[in-house]
Amino acid sequence: MNTCNTIRDFITHEMLHDSLKTPLGDDDQLVDSGIIDSLGVMNLLSFLEEKFSIQIPDDDLIPENFASLSTITALVERQMAR
Amino acid sequence: MNFAFTEEQQKIRNTIIDFARQELNPGIIERDRAGVFPRDLWVKCAEMRLMALPFPEAHGGDGFDFVTTVAVFHALGYACKDSGLILSLATQVICGLTIQLSGNQEQAACLLPDLASGTLIYAQGITEPDSGSDTFAMRTTATKKDGGYILNGTKTMISNGPVTDRALIYAVTNPTKKTLARISCFLVPKGNPGFSAGNPMEKMGLRTMTNGELVCTDCYVPGPSLVGREGQGVILFSEVVEWERVLICAGLLGGLERVLEDCIRYAKERKAFGQSIGTFQAISHKIATMRMNVELGRLALYSAAILKNKRKRAALESSVAKFFISESLKQACLDAVQIRGGYGYMSEFEVERDLRDSIAATIYSGTSEMQANTIARLAGL
Repeated sequence: MNTCNTIRDFITHEMLHDSLKTPLGDDDQLVDSGIIDSLGVMNLLSFLEEKFSIQIPDDDLIPENFASLSTITALVERQMAR
Repeated sequence: MNFAFTEEQQKIRNTIIDFARQELNPGIIERDRAGVFPRDLWVKCAEMRLMALPFPEAHGGDGFDFVTTVAVFHALGYACKDSGLILSLATQVICGLTIQLSGNQEQAACLLPDLASGTLIYAQGITEPDSGSDTFAMRTTATKKDGGYILNGTKTMISNGPVTDRALIYAVTNPTKKTLARISCFLVPKGNPGFSAGNPMEKMGLRTMTNGELVCTDCYVPGPSLVGREGQGVILFSEVVEWERVLICAGLLGGLERVLEDCIRYAKERKAFGQSIGTFQAISHKIATMRMNVELGRLALYSAAILKNKRKRAALESSVAKFFISESLKQACLDAVQIRGGYGYMSEFEVERDLRDSIAATIYSGTSEMQANTIARLAGL
């Protein structure tokens, strides 16, 4: 499973709580729709850092980086490239 | 995970225990009754470098790791009977961690030295009259103007609020956004036009720590007052609160250990029906539960502390520690009063003060009910 699909899988199962929903699109708005909230983002961070063996710096902990699957994937891939 | 203290940590802990017993405990009954912030003891704690522990030496700190900081607050909670003072100190350190984690280099270099030395007292303004557990429903606003922001709103029950020199104020910068992106954090100094602190609020326990309102009325702060980036406040707070819960729990666990030791001593000395009351299971089982909770609390606390020390996320572990240790302490204090009977109810014997203080621990930094919500969410519910 590639990075984006791994993250999609986590968000779908851990945050949407409804597998019957329309599959999560790469650019669906996760913050603006309220899917990722204050606790959700910490849960997601914990998952990302463990799954991809990265540490996301404090400077990158901004809502824009969690806006959609695309931005989260880009964030993870930037950290993996370091 | 290795939970054993290093030789250095044990040495520091012993120093803190001696210091607290000699310098911080005398007069606690009177101070509690008066409900006054003990500025002289704050200075003594500053001289002991209690507020400098986790900060870099370059910024006026002592450069200890977070586990050592936790071990020191654990020792402080064990030896110091003034829970209000401990929470005041923890608030100061947490404000420093907020700046260290999220502020820029200039802010850290400018602000941390006076914080670490205790010269200036810090507070964090989050709770509002209409938003407690629903933290991010806050109404305080920060509107952009002339390269800065105008803050309007009221924070309430703020720890260190009435004596604060600098406050970290959380405010809504983008009301059209959903929770995660709508709040930012600002540094507001005492004396800033439009910023005022209310009088200390009378309260049940923690009476040596002042709590009160912080009011912003057309309070202009320049752009560099923003801590972190605009809209980062919720994520910043969510990260900081993990550190906060661990640090606070260190003091609470120390308090639980002290209550346990006092109960064991009393249960051995006190005689009833011709024998020590500790021989009665009605007493010994209460104490056994305290002992068990100390052991489990230690595992919960240092599991979370080690994670934060490694800069790992610890939303679950910090909530588990906060929930378990604060509730264990409250129950232990209630049992300590019951074990002492009438004496437990008398102020002179100091157990009732521990009980009053312990109740607050299940409310501040997230109520037990909110910790349970967090734990449930992270269990996938």
